[in-house]
Amino acid sequence: MSALTLYNYELDENSYRVRLLLSMLGIEHDVYSVNMLPGREEKSPALLALNPCGTLPFIKQGDTVLFGAEAILAHLARHNDASGKWLPIDRPDFSTTMMWLGFAAGPLQAAVKAREVAVFAVGGHLERLKADARAAFRIMDDHMTLRHIEGKEWFAADYPTIADLALIPSFALSRDFNIDHEEFPALRLWLRRFRRLPGFITMPGIPDYH
Amino acid sequence: MTPQPIWSPVALSNMVDPSTSTGAVVNGAELVVWRDSSGKAHVWEDRCPHRGMRMSFGFVRGDHLACLYHGWQYDTAGQCRHIPAHPQLDVPQTIRMQTFASAERNGIIWAGSTTEADPALLPAEIAGLVPVRSLYADCTMEKALAILAATPLPGVSDAPKIETISENYISLTAGATRLLVAIQSMGDAKLALHLMANEGAPIAALARYAQALRLALETPLAEVA
Repeated sequence: MSALTLYNYELDENSYRVRLLLSMLGIEHDVYSVNMLPGREEKSPALLALNPCGTLPFIKQGDTVLFGAEAILAHLARHNDASGKWLPIDRPDFSTTMMWLGFAAGPLQAAVKAREVAVFAVGGHLERLKADARAAFRIMDDHMTLRHIEGKEWFAADYPTIADLALIPSFALSRDFNIDHEEFPALRLWLRRFRRLPGFITMPGIPDYH
Repeated sequence: MTPQPIWSPVALSNMVDPSTSTGAVVNGAELVVWRDSSGKAHVWEDRCPHRGMRMSFGFVRGDHLACLYHGWQYDTAGQCRHIPAHPQLDVPQTIRMQTFASAERNGIIWAGSTTEADPALLPAEIAGLVPVRSLYADCTMEKALAILAATPLPGVSDAPKIETISENYISLTAGATRLLVAIQSMGDAKLALHLMANEGAPIAALARYAQALRLALETPLAEVA
């Protein structure tokens, strides 16, 4: 397969989602560092020609460009994970994996936006976004509380999937916008488990215990 | 600020793993709850004496809790033992954490209001309890008690029989189910309910009951009627 390039900004949470899977699956790739702040390079004509949405991350492989972190995660897992578990296409857990992947792209983006407002000082209604992020974390904590009672450790399956991977960053970074972890005990245990998986990497805002 | 009352619940025991830390707020007082590698729980003020960083963001190394900011390490008595920037330094006795008494009883970690809080004042032991969940809600203690009293437990239509064990600990019984509710007052209209039940009780159903309870707890009073 031709070389894979990730268009990345180090402090961008959605870019981190893709970096995390690239690391956990050990996928070789090049990185194009986008000057998102302050340059807004992702909105430049050259990058809009590749990704008309003007968002990060996106990947380019040969003539193919994929934007949207969740689509990229599914694509990378589909073609690079021999175990077939990260994206369990042929397993009964496929539907729940897709549901929680959709949750990461949907309600949980309030947390992504809350962090952008808090950290990058871009426009937005921080208190409303924080309330929506808290509501999303509650849905996740309620789910993992019931999973824990059933003796399950991951969101969608008996093993980690790209759903866990897509959900983790927002919770791990929530202190950036002043939502602490103490109200979400089941998520705390889940984050600790995920951190111990092979290939896990952090980003600024996620403590790297030394 | 000092946490009140004398013993306050701060977490379910099974949700704080050995070698981990978490934050907890008791009536506005910010605490760190952590377990050392031997499994013993500790409760301190959530503030590093060095730069005021929250210790609950830190990490456990053996029987020390380390601050995330500059790695200062404190032993189980709260005494600073290691400063990475000055590895040869014999750390002065004056660099220590504000500690609080801690105890585990009935599946719950309790924080004392002082270093010397009397363990004899902890609730009596109840055998054979299993964890349900902790539920965090924006509501007052009075409202929580009223709604707990009025809400049937799962699988039972009548309101539960209530027994008050202490000002922040009640027992709800209906049919064969007994639910123990330890109430952590976090501040104005903010609390956590730490729920344990008798063995054989429908734990998943009780967890769902708690989830639904939160909706009632957070509904403005005018809408309850």
